[in-house]
Amino acid sequence: MTEPSASAPPVTLVGQFRRQLPRYLVGIALLAVYQTAQYLFDKRLIVAINAVTGEGLTDALSSGRDLVLIAIVAFGIRIASRVAIFNAGRQAEYEIRNGLLARLQTLGQSFYQTMPPGEIMSRATNDLTQVRLLLGFAVLNAVNTTFGLISAFAVTMSISPTLTLAALAPMPLLVLITRVFGGQIYGRQKANQDALGEMSDLLQTSITGSRVIRSFDLERAQEQRFTRVNQNYLEKSLALSRLRGAIGPVMASLSGVGVIIVFWYGGHMLVTGQITPGGFLTFFRALGRLSWPLMALGFLIGLVQRGRAAYSRLTDILNAQPEVVDGPAPAPAQLRGRLEVRNLHFAYRAENPVLRGVSFVLEPGASVAIVGRTASGKSTLARLLPRLMNTPRGCVFLDGVDICDLPLSVVRGAIGYTQQDAFLFSTTAAHNIGFALDETESAPARETIRGAARRAHVLDELLGLPDALDTVVGERGVQLSGGQKQRVALASGFVLSPKLLVLDDPLSAVDARTEKGILEAIDEERAERGVILVTHRVVAARRCDRILVMEHGEIVESGTHDELCQRGGIYARFAEEQRIEAALQELENWAPPVAPTGAESARGGSMLGGSP
Amino acid sequence: MSSRIVPGEAAKPPGEGGPPTGQRSSGARSLGAHQIEAQDRVRQGALDRQARKRLEDERVLSGQDDASLLRKLWPFLRPERAWLTVAILASLVTSAISLGRPLIMLWAIDRSIATKDPGLILLGGIAFAAASLVEQGLGFVQTYATQVVGARAMADLRLHVFRFIARLPQSFFDHQPVGRLVTRVTNDVDSIQELFNSGIVSVLGSVLRLVGVVVLMLTLDIKLSLVAFSSLPLIGLVVLWVRKRARDAFRAIRGETARMNSNMNEQVTGLPVVQAFGQETAMYRQFEEINASYRDANVAAIKYEAIQDAAVDAVGAIAMAMIIVALGMHHASFGTVVALSTYLTLFFEPITALAQLYTLVQNALSGAERVFGLLAEPGRDMAPVPGEHVAKGDANFALEFQHVTFGYKPNLPVLHDVSFAAKPGQVVALVGPTGSGKTTVTALLLRLYEIWQGKIFVSGDDVQGLTAADLRARFSVVPQEVLLFPGTLAENVALGQEPDLERVRAVLTQMGVLDLFEKREGGLLARVHTSGANFSVGERQLIAFARALYRDAEILILDEATASVDSDTEARMQKALAVLMAGRTSIVVAHRLSTIRAANVILVLSRGHIVESGTHEELLVQGGLYAALYDLQIARAG
Repeated sequence: MTEPSASAPPVTLVGQFRRQLPRYLVGIALLAVYQTAQYLFDKRLIVAINAVTGEGLTDALSSGRDLVLIAIVAFGIRIASRVAIFNAGRQAEYEIRNGLLARLQTLGQSFYQTMPPGEIMSRATNDLTQVRLLLGFAVLNAVNTTFGLISAFAVTMSISPTLTLAALAPMPLLVLITRVFGGQIYGRQKANQDALGEMSDLLQTSITGSRVIRSFDLERAQEQRFTRVNQNYLEKSLALSRLRGAIGPVMASLSGVGVIIVFWYGGHMLVTGQITPGGFLTFFRALGRLSWPLMALGFLIGLVQRGRAAYSRLTDILNAQPEVVDGPAPAPAQLRGRLEVRNLHFAYRAENPVLRGVSFVLEPGASVAIVGRTASGKSTLARLLPRLMNTPRGCVFLDGVDICDLPLSVVRGAIGYTQQDAFLFSTTAAHNIGFALDETESAPARETIRGAARRAHVLDELLGLPDALDTVVGERGVQLSGGQKQRVALASGFVLSPKLLVLDDPLSAVDARTEKGILEAIDEERAERGVILVTHRVVAARRCDRILVMEHGEIVESGTHDELCQRGGIYARFAEEQRIEAALQELENWAPPVAPTGAESARGGSMLGGSP
Repeated sequence: MSSRIVPGEAAKPPGEGGPPTGQRSSGARSLGAHQIEAQDRVRQGALDRQARKRLEDERVLSGQDDASLLRKLWPFLRPERAWLTVAILASLVTSAISLGRPLIMLWAIDRSIATKDPGLILLGGIAFAAASLVEQGLGFVQTYATQVVGARAMADLRLHVFRFIARLPQSFFDHQPVGRLVTRVTNDVDSIQELFNSGIVSVLGSVLRLVGVVVLMLTLDIKLSLVAFSSLPLIGLVVLWVRKRARDAFRAIRGETARMNSNMNEQVTGLPVVQAFGQETAMYRQFEEINASYRDANVAAIKYEAIQDAAVDAVGAIAMAMIIVALGMHHASFGTVVALSTYLTLFFEPITALAQLYTLVQNALSGAERVFGLLAEPGRDMAPVPGEHVAKGDANFALEFQHVTFGYKPNLPVLHDVSFAAKPGQVVALVGPTGSGKTTVTALLLRLYEIWQGKIFVSGDDVQGLTAADLRARFSVVPQEVLLFPGTLAENVALGQEPDLERVRAVLTQMGVLDLFEKREGGLLARVHTSGANFSVGERQLIAFARALYRDAEILILDEATASVDSDTEARMQKALAVLMAGRTSIVVAHRLSTIRAANVILVLSRGHIVESGTHEELLVQGGLYAALYDLQIARAG
């Protein structure tokens, strides 16, 4: 199972802040030194300028040397401080992201129903980025702003306290205005994003619905809609631009007031000799250092708010409670694999029951087929057996023990499950088949994998891939056909080698010839383990010891193939339908004189080619 | 926006983001406002770019060079020439003023020191503040004008692309992921617009400013300036050294980001398998490792970012120190010193701005490349056919296929030499196993695809000789999967026309289903949620029927849904269908026995061939494929 939470790093903002504290402290110390260096530079500059603009030209060289030294030290320290604090942000991001995955692994279907993968990804990327900015960038700025204020303030105060106060008079307004702008920008940015979203949606419908749009000759109407949302997006983005563009002039007029004050009052002091030229120039520079952090403060507050909002979206995942957890009972020393289902009821939504009192027993090594139409509840039943969903207590027993009392690893190790729409990871075919193995490189492991692939009737096709079993398959690798994927998944189920194998419709995408081979393989499996075969295919079901027919969440018929055929119920009808379908297939194969075309050569080119 | 982040894609490293902690040791200009704003935008933009970068691997190698891309963009920019001129002028004037400001300081300080007149220095302050205000005001004009140009031009481009997509043949959409096309119109066009938002026009101003600063500094005091500049080559080397490494580091980040996103996505989508196989720990380890390399790649880049950030300040400070040293050998007025120190800070601004722009230009060009790559698609829906290829059919038939052969992919025909005809008012049922080509026949009637051989006539007119409006207006189509559009129920019934509520009501009454829809909240004006999720399958079918009846076209194309509905809805559908088909030529992809039996002609398709045709009774007697299909239907219905 996932990492024990006791040793896992904290994923809360406060917890992470504490955990990264050593890095922050180093960063804070460095920033203190940096701002001291800035202070020293300014102080030295006053002296130097006074000297060179006055008479004492002699110290120019030593002054210049000192200033360069201070600048170089400040340069190094500034880099180090950023590295320290940003590293903290990155480390926090790393740990929170690990925490996200660990939590996601424990969550089940009821969570994923409320949050689709796209949404999870967006939170794990966008929102986590905001959180990182909060824990890295915002921390750096908060500290640096504070120290910067102190440092600049110390310089200006040493030059002239009254001039400092006069120059700072418009500053509070500056902070306020950045704050207001920040909030407004955020709002308009959102409006802009919404307009973009609206446009994307319209595009999406236009393209997916292009057939309907053409059939009904709706191009013009659709274009009018698009023109409308396009115009809206244009307006929203210009509204955002206007606000962003206005920040500069507004700030300029405000700091213009400060400049006039410094020139007038400071100039007066300069002319009357109350301050030196060096003091005047340095004051000017320090004022620059002051106004920046004050302005940044407004943005900083926005950054903190956004970070917190983003974090609260992460907590939707981090605080989600897993439904399916380990039971208290110890792992049994030996499992026989007797499965008993007693009066199992289940519903995704209370008003719509999916299973209504299902009961059956499967002796070790026996096989049972679960047959039924789409939505009869058979796949739900299959997923409940290994507790892949929240199996109700007191309904499913493994060797007489309620599976809810057993450790999850025991239940899932004992009851193997392969899902209907096979999922392959973007790794080698061998890794996918040997998914249950600790390693897939050793000779015995390779043998196991090959054996399983052979039994699932997919080995030859896999060996035909560019790198044979080491070919990367899945989303970012070679695309396998639906039937091939199913067989790879089946092979991985064989490798798992559980006491009981639940196969959820493993034949839905394979052709008749392969179907026969797989059924034989499943027959072989039955010699070693119990098999539960969920299927709608009569040919598959008839090989099992017993057949359960499901309808509307209930088992309505039960018996062997022959018994059920004679009974003339639902199963018998299935059998008849499928007999006719097979006959139809025969008839079709024989009926139309298919003209020879290039199709055959195109299809025969590759086993894995995209034949329809 | 958030949902646009798709895993498995390379992303631009967001960097540590945000404004630099800069202690911009500058004169009394409105410090930092621009920087904050620009950096804030860069950070926001970085998130958008994450999504954009994913497309890098699908870049069309169409061999479009930068110059030809710009030429293609020009027609969209042309109408905004006036704004463009305003932006350029404003940018130049802004730069000129910013160059003048230190001169004001120089004048005021030196004069007031010489005359001991504080009034002069106040005048200087006012002039300085006024210059700042004008500069900022014009800066706003410049930025806004540029953004207007960009936003309008890109809105035009988007509309153009949208119209273009609407003209592409249906076959184009069969092989294109929808997301990719959406991205062309949104993200890719946005990446061009981003260039305008970031003020591409200010390039001219930046260049002017850079040259101006150098010239003015040299004019003010050539010796001091040269000494100040003497530290530049050293810094240039540092920057070069960092830049190359930073580029490599960012490339590494891009790779790691792609790897992490795709792994995480896979972990989430494949979780049921992971859980079923109890492989949580192994998968967690794998993710932890990838997450760690992602972190390490980012951490490696932090120092380069930090160096670049700190360098600007350090350079300013060192240049200032050099001036001090030079002043030791060569006297200058205090005002000159102040002016030079201000120019030094001004010197680095355009350099930083130009460097930032470089990335944006690259992004915009690759966006433009993809957009114009799409616009180079040759195919057209309903492409005009030369007159001599247009034939005249028998006007006595409502529709007629003559030896039609067609396939979706070359060399893979789906229909072979199909011929049939239907008289006005007749009902033609197409039956056959899945994949036999039934739906294809209906698509060809609408000329959604171009046939390989043969002719198709509607009321004696060759479908290739009609315009889209002319041809498709003759049909009402009920597809198998009903697509509902966002809007009201009535709008969905009227589809494309301004809904006439009375007529909608009449149509629903005629079908006998008015009560079903009126009892819903909002009645006929009930909102349809995205893709019609708030209507049941049966209701959607009925809406599709109502659409067809409202449209009241000569010919009905009906692709019967196979999904089963409850018996009440089924009965209503049967009745509605009878109303819909009454007196109308209909071609039906039929699954229901009742529909098939009601047909005047049944065409049995198998692997793209018409293998049997006739009435229900005739075909049953033949005992062929139809008889077998019929048995199957009976068995299913049983």
